[in-house]
Amino acid sequence: MAPEVLPKPQMRGLLARRLRFHMATAFVLSLGVAALYKVGVADKRKKAYADFYRNYDAMKDFEEMRKAGIFQSVK
Amino acid sequence: MAHPVQLGLQDATSPVMEELITFHDQALMAMFLISFLILYALSSTLTTKLTNTNITDAQEMETIWTILPAVILILIALPSLRILYMTDEINNPSFTIKSIGHQWYWTYEYTDYGGLIFNSYMLPPLFLNPGDLRLLEVDNRVVLPIEAPVRMMITSQDVLHSWTIPTLGLKTDAVPGRLNQTVFTATRPGVYYGQCSEICGANHSFMPIVAELIPLKIFEMGPVFTL
Repeated sequence: MAPEVLPKPQMRGLLARRLRFHMATAFVLSLGVAALYKVGVADKRKKAYADFYRNYDAMKDFEEMRKAGIFQSVK
Repeated sequence: MAHPVQLGLQDATSPVMEELITFHDQALMAMFLISFLILYALSSTLTTKLTNTNITDAQEMETIWTILPAVILILIALPSLRILYMTDEINNPSFTIKSIGHQWYWTYEYTDYGGLIFNSYMLPPLFLNPGDLRLLEVDNRVVLPIEAPVRMMITSQDVLHSWTIPTLGLKTDAVPGRLNQTVFTATRPGVYYGQCSEICGANHSFMPIVAELIPLKIFEMGPVFTL
């Protein structure tokens, strides 16, 4: 009875295959991190400033501060 | 002023500072990208037993890791230069104030309308009122208008100082024998703090700057001249 012959395992190029996989993964993940920062921090901050100034009333803000007594020049 | 354990920049009170914050976000995004890439590559290298001791050259890889950093640097430099030239724009300021650094206080001169000149000393801790900020409060604040371009002419009477207000994106060296100019337009009223930013002796940390920004209409009524 002939013994069962297993397929020859991959014996060469293992590091190269690993490097190809991980290099591509590294680039994709780091672009993902950058995109996450852009959306979660940078764009959120720009939107926060735009929303703040959209209906901002400097005189009203000033009057509230003046009543709170923080200014020296105007009481 | 900064909050305790604050990591980021203070909120902007001028359009230039908003641009600087946006640029800082862009540069930090590039830094996170590169740092994550390096961290991943490092951990990938440390978690394998596979080795290759016969690597002789890798021209394609070397080309990529030369060109890519150059591209990243250009992408950082372009907005940086744009903001640099934006800060140098002189857009016909309506008001000029001189700020003179001394050891260890500031003198402000309002010479556009009359000759108001006063000194601004830090309030020692014993003179603070409840709620005041230690090492940041001064006896006489510099009062400025908002929504109008203001020119600051900055110099020093003795050694180097630097007139700084982070929330306005201002930092200008006070050099003896030289007049430096900076222009800004503030968008919000309030009280904003800064500290001398060039080592100038024993009390370098104790000569803060406090700017009181009030609406232009109120400023024109002359409250600063009745202080």
